Amino acid sequence: MDFTFTEEQVLLRDTVTRSLERDYSFEARQAIARSERGWSPEVWARLVELGLTALPFPEAVGGLNGSIVDVVAVAEVFGAHLLVEPWVASVVLAGGVLAAVEDQDTLARIASGEAIGALAHEEGRGTPDPALITTTAERSGDGYALTGEKRVVLHGASADVLVVTARLDAGPAVFLVDPSAPAATGFTTVDGRRAAHLRFDATPATLLAADAEQLLREALDRALVVLAAEAVGATGELLRRTAEYASTREQFGVPIGTFQTVAHRLADMKIAYVKARSTLLYTTALTEAGRLGPQDVAVLKAQVGRLGRLVGEYAIQTHGGVGMTDELPIGHLHKRILAVDAMFGPADHHLRRLGAGLAWAPATTG
Amino acid sequence: MDIAPNADLEKFREEVAEFLDTAPTPEIREAGRKTTSVFGPFDQVMAWHRILHARGWSAPDWPVEHGGTGWSVEQRYVFAEEYQKRGLPPLLPNGLRMIGPLLMELGTPEQQARHLPGILSGEDYWTQGYSEPGAGSDLASLSTMAVPDGDDYVLNGSKIWTTYAHHANRMFLLVRTSREGRKQRGITFLLLDRMDLPGLEVRPIIGLDGAPEQCEVFFTDVRVPQANRVGAENDGWSVAKQLLKHERGGSAHSPMLRRRLEVARAVAAETPSGFGGSLADDPAFQRDLGELEAELASYEHFEKLAISGHPIAKDPAYPSLNKVMSSELTQRISVLMTRVVGLDGLADQREALHVGSEVEPLGGDLALVAMPYYLNSRATTIYAGTNEVQRDLVARTLRS
Ligand SMILES: Cc1cc2nc3c(=O)[nH]c(=O)nc-3n(C[C@H](O)[C@H](O)[C@H](O)COP(=O)(O)OP(=O)(O)OC[C@H]3O[C@@H](n4cnc5c(N)ncnc54)[C@H](O)[C@@H]3O)c2cc1C
Repeated sequence: MDFTFTEEQVLLRDTVTRSLERDYSFEARQAIARSERGWSPEVWARLVELGLTALPFPEAVGGLNGSIVDVVAVAEVFGAHLLVEPWVASVVLAGGVLAAVEDQDTLARIASGEAIGALAHEEGRGTPDPALITTTAERSGDGYALTGEKRVVLHGASADVLVVTARLDAGPAVFLVDPSAPAATGFTTVDGRRAAHLRFDATPATLLAADAEQLLREALDRALVVLAAEAVGATGELLRRTAEYASTREQFGVPIGTFQTVAHRLADMKIAYVKARSTLLYTTALTEAGRLGPQDVAVLKAQVGRLGRLVGEYAIQTHGGVGMTDELPIGHLHKRILAVDAMFGPADHHLRRLGAGLAWAPATTG
Repeated sequence: MDIAPNADLEKFREEVAEFLDTAPTPEIREAGRKTTSVFGPFDQVMAWHRILHARGWSAPDWPVEHGGTGWSVEQRYVFAEEYQKRGLPPLLPNGLRMIGPLLMELGTPEQQARHLPGILSGEDYWTQGYSEPGAGSDLASLSTMAVPDGDDYVLNGSKIWTTYAHHANRMFLLVRTSREGRKQRGITFLLLDRMDLPGLEVRPIIGLDGAPEQCEVFFTDVRVPQANRVGAENDGWSVAKQLLKHERGGSAHSPMLRRRLEVARAVAAETPSGFGGSLADDPAFQRDLGELEAELASYEHFEKLAISGHPIAKDPAYPSLNKVMSSELTQRISVLMTRVVGLDGLADQREALHVGSEVEPLGGDLALVAMPYYLNSRATTIYAGTNEVQRDLVARTLRS
């Protein structure tokens, strides 16, 4: 095992990169993020054409049966290009859970790209543990009724398919809810995505899976590997752009990269990036081998959050004033990393779990 | 600074507290809650400046003859504490802490008479035009030209990162008047007594938080009277160095940082940790908060020594030490703030941050400001001389 991408994977990355370089310059991305919808149906159609919405899913639902390595290979490229289309929300998060509960019909719509999915799981503290869900489900006639609040649901106010986690009896369960049913407060996130807080008040729901704790953990773990890949892609792009800037920006008659303090900071950025990427690639291989443990996910999520933040902060500092503007990708890449860190448990959360030797947080009482 | 309990000082504290409780309008308080950098919402901050001026309290650090309060060091610190406890927006630094004190030292009597009253009262707002696209850390390589023509200079070139230039009606700037000899030698310090001059154009730059704070300023044959020069022609570098001392030193910063930390602590007590208790009960969080408390305390002690005239403030490294300490502490506290608000900090609330906005904030006051404050705090190690340059300056004072 050498942990490199296969020829097909390299080809896929190249194809995606070329497509984004053509249609998704930073300026184009900014215009898309600021548009009313916040993402581009044309770009989405292009992703569908390239098979990227179908990539991780089984052939039975029209998927390409791609591996986690395939998905990570693409996600890094998306991270570097700051893709705001709902690929993470729909394919990785909602699609990941739908695949785990084997809802073939809905999954087929996600895989074909015709429907945009959203996963409503987190409730405010960035704690991914399904055992901590407080949204409740109660039996109501033939179906169920959900009550509670989900926060920062990516594409939560505009999705066609809404997958919701809630506590049914004692354990976490997975439901499908009419996306127009919950009360949604929509907003844009600091990293230019659309999201919403969703309030459920005895909202009708269809049960997809009860006793879903283990299943949800596995699905979320896989999704976190992909999210981490986006952050690592963004981290690599920050390093590349900053190294380039330090080689061309001159002060005192020389490139700033020749000042030892700047040079050493660039070296530290590279060290951080290589650490984060090593952990990403190794953890991806563990996932592929079916050997991904909760500790591995905690390590990955913590390292990508910490090291990515460091690289982003150094990138801004090395750029000086121009690093503080909205007009350069630098700040946007950094904000993407901050957002990935905040979702599903920030670095501090995962570090504490690691230090305590806990795979998951203890369940709260009540 | 006297640290023994003192009844007079406590009476003074009550007097200050009473005024600060009653004088600010609701809009000014709102501006305080919505302040996400050193530069708060312009209109409300200036309105507050004028209210403080009417009470005689806009410039506690100024000498009495120029409109200062004549307060003791202790009183000034008490004022800063009470001010910050209420989360009121800080007054803008450019006039009160930069060009004002500079003019007292180096301005002509005419310049003092003409400009100090407007700075004190908050009628005028001054922007600082030093940096240029090609001249940041290497400020002395600036190239905006001023060519003498009759009684005027004629200016051509551009400035960048000029904070609040789009709000300012005055500007102090550095221009090049000679290309002979060392580059520091050919620089001149000028005052613009208006910003609506023919040939002068201001373009705001959008920052990481989505708000315009810095600007680009373009000069095309802009005429400025030579009488608006501070110091001699080609001697502007030493004038600027004098001013930088005020910019990097300045008055007590720690009460503001303490306020930020206190708010973060209070919100943490109501925030679940994800481990079955509140964040404030989380031992890992407590340890990190404790470290910041200790760092802040040491910085506070340093500041109190310095304002009390301890030799620490005469150390040639003092301005740089102060700048590095306060900026890096600001950044660390800002990170803690984002940690407390967690996921809620991801909502981009730039519209709700306008004073008087109809847009309801999502979450509490801390969630509203934590992320933009964190982002803006990245600039504290860049502006007023980057921390790399400051460390060089400190190191230089250590070399024998
Ligand atoms: C929010 C904000 C507000 C500002 N407000 C104003 C204002 O009101 N008026 C004004 O005139 N300017 C203002 N500035 C500009 C500020 O002073 C400059 O950004 C600063 O001097 C750095 O210059 P630069 O941005 O060109 O970065 P550069 O000088 O290009 O520096 C880039 C990087 O190289 C490093 N570097 C450069 N030289 C050296 C060296 N010799 N040794 C080691 N490292 C080095 C720097 O530390 C930095 O990390 C503001 C800037 C910001 C971010």
